[in-house]
Amino acid sequence: MPRTSIVALKIAYRSITRRKFRSALTILGVIIGISTIVSLMTIAYGMRTQVKNTLNEMLGAGIIVSSRTSGVDIPEYVKDIILNVSGVKDAVPVITTMANVGNQPVLTIGINPKDATRLYRVSLAEGRLLNQGEKDSVIFGASTAATLGIQVNDTVTLSTQMGGVGKKFRVVGLLRAIGTGELSIGCFLTLDAAQELVNRKGYVSDILVILDDPNLGEELERTFRTMFEDASVVRQEELMRQIDRIMNIINGVLLALGAVSLAVGALGILNTVMMSVHERRREIGMLKAVGAERWHILSLFLSEALIISIIGGLIGCGLGLTSVYLIQWLVSMIGLNLTIPLLIAPDILIGAFLVAISIGLIAGLYPSWKAANVPPVEALRYE
Amino acid sequence: MSNIVELYNVIKTYNLGEGIKVEALRGVNLKIARGEFVSIQGPSGSGKTTLLNIIGGLDKPTSGKIIIDGTDITPLGEKELARFRREKIGFIFQFFNLVPLLTALENVELPMLFSGKLSNKEIQERAIDLLKLVGLEKRMQHKPTQLSGGEQQRVAIARALANEPAIILGDEPTGNIDRATGLRIIRLIKNLNETLDQTFVIVTHDLAVAKASKRTLFMTDGKLEETPPKTVLTIPAPVLMEERRQLFLAELGWLKSSLLILKERREEIDPDTFHNAFSAYKTRLEKIRKLLKEYSSAGGEKNNEA
Repeated sequence: MPRTSIVALKIAYRSITRRKFRSALTILGVIIGISTIVSLMTIAYGMRTQVKNTLNEMLGAGIIVSSRTSGVDIPEYVKDIILNVSGVKDAVPVITTMANVGNQPVLTIGINPKDATRLYRVSLAEGRLLNQGEKDSVIFGASTAATLGIQVNDTVTLSTQMGGVGKKFRVVGLLRAIGTGELSIGCFLTLDAAQELVNRKGYVSDILVILDDPNLGEELERTFRTMFEDASVVRQEELMRQIDRIMNIINGVLLALGAVSLAVGALGILNTVMMSVHERRREIGMLKAVGAERWHILSLFLSEALIISIIGGLIGCGLGLTSVYLIQWLVSMIGLNLTIPLLIAPDILIGAFLVAISIGLIAGLYPSWKAANVPPVEALRYE
Repeated sequence: MSNIVELYNVIKTYNLGEGIKVEALRGVNLKIARGEFVSIQGPSGSGKTTLLNIIGGLDKPTSGKIIIDGTDITPLGEKELARFRREKIGFIFQFFNLVPLLTALENVELPMLFSGKLSNKEIQERAIDLLKLVGLEKRMQHKPTQLSGGEQQRVAIARALANEPAIILGDEPTGNIDRATGLRIIRLIKNLNETLDQTFVIVTHDLAVAKASKRTLFMTDGKLEETPPKTVLTIPAPVLMEERRQLFLAELGWLKSSLLILKERREEIDPDTFHNAFSAYKTRLEKIRKLLKEYSSAGGEKNNEA
């Protein structure tokens, strides 16, 4: 590092510490921008991981064959056809629908108890599981139950969203949140009970297909497409990709929000360095008079912008992570059992820090360039 | 004796826009030999500072030739001029112009750091030596705000000496410090001039500086003379005259409209008040008309009054 750069850093550092209040405000602007980005991105990253894990657990299937409409239109016997296809390990018929408990919509899943225990890691918080063929009992996910205020032994009325009369069920158990929280959401009944509820005996909405080998996925997807022209066949990977796409959009929106606050931070730097240049015109002229070249002056003011943005970036990263903890704590305080896993992603932090530095460079460049162009005669101008 | 400064027919014209041009230097010729201590006197606006800027390579002339220490600096570009300044020129300013964020020692080191010819250790040693030379060995770690005006000017002198310049230029170095301190600064400069054979050119109003110097030059209206000017202009620059003329014109307009209003409202005012006011306005009006005529003929401009 050239010695003049060290001097530039020294002067810049002292310039920042001399105007503590102004510098603090400017740094605050950067901190707000960076911490917004870090916290939003960390939450988004956590959500993405959460959704992916949930899907992995929930589906546990390589391929899903489902009704093209959101109805319950697949004959149950399709399961047996699928089971006969080579490469298929298992096939589970389910009904997934939205039903109302009172006037609250709840994700309702009809599945045979033995299929459920085979497919998922089921863990009871309270009560018992459903028995095969039991038609007047339901199990709730613990967090849905908490939201709706439902307890074991309560009687609830489920009605389909198509309307019609509701059907009464007794709550026999609550499912604990396991792993990343799946199965704690929703209402579970036996497949028979679900078919009665939606009034589609012998039909299901989806068949979850478990494969012998995940690599067969693409080939079997094609096979099923030709076999069941009227159904929609989705590979889990594909579903994941779609969800990724949605999450990317959410990410983009969050990034745009962060970018706005970053722009404010950048304007703060621009303003501060501009003021510094304006106040120090004579000093700049004098530096040139004693032999400073343009780049000496440029590096002097760029250093100022950089120091501000580096400090702001570091504190912003820290504050961003802290605020994620804070948001989690707040969410749990207001009683929502929403468990967003807090995952510290190094690339988010490094990225945010690099963004801070580049903002400092970009915002500092114009005023520094202005400073570099102050004519040396300013040294002898007295006003 | 070789010449440090040679100026040949240097002209500097400032374009103030809207066709207004100010000739700050109107053909200056000057030779200064090594080891001279020259003071330049002259009223404000006579072009002293412009001359200093041009000798020091801070500004470029409109035409003419400038040779400093054997180098023609007229064609030099910005980067070369910066190098020229840090190697050949030392500056002392009226307001000291130290970097407020650096200590006295760091300020003196600065020109040596820019030129990059010495090692860090050599730079520090030389800076310490220079501060000792100006009598500030005890205040080296002080920031400019912790130093008195005289002390700050001493630091500035040490800084000006840092790169062993061919010439040190001073712009009113005693203009912002009390008389006693000013005399000490002048003694220091004279001392450096005699012991180090350091060339100084100092622009000043201070007669004490002129007395201490070996040679005094006089600047009037952009021209440099070896003898003091016979008359002192009360209104030196044509710009200033034009400004006054504009003020008179404005007052004239105001007086005319006041007279008009006075006449229109004659019925509402009692006769004595009317006559007093009317004659007062009339007298002032005549006086301004006369003044304007003088100004217009002196400035060689057309009488705009009609």
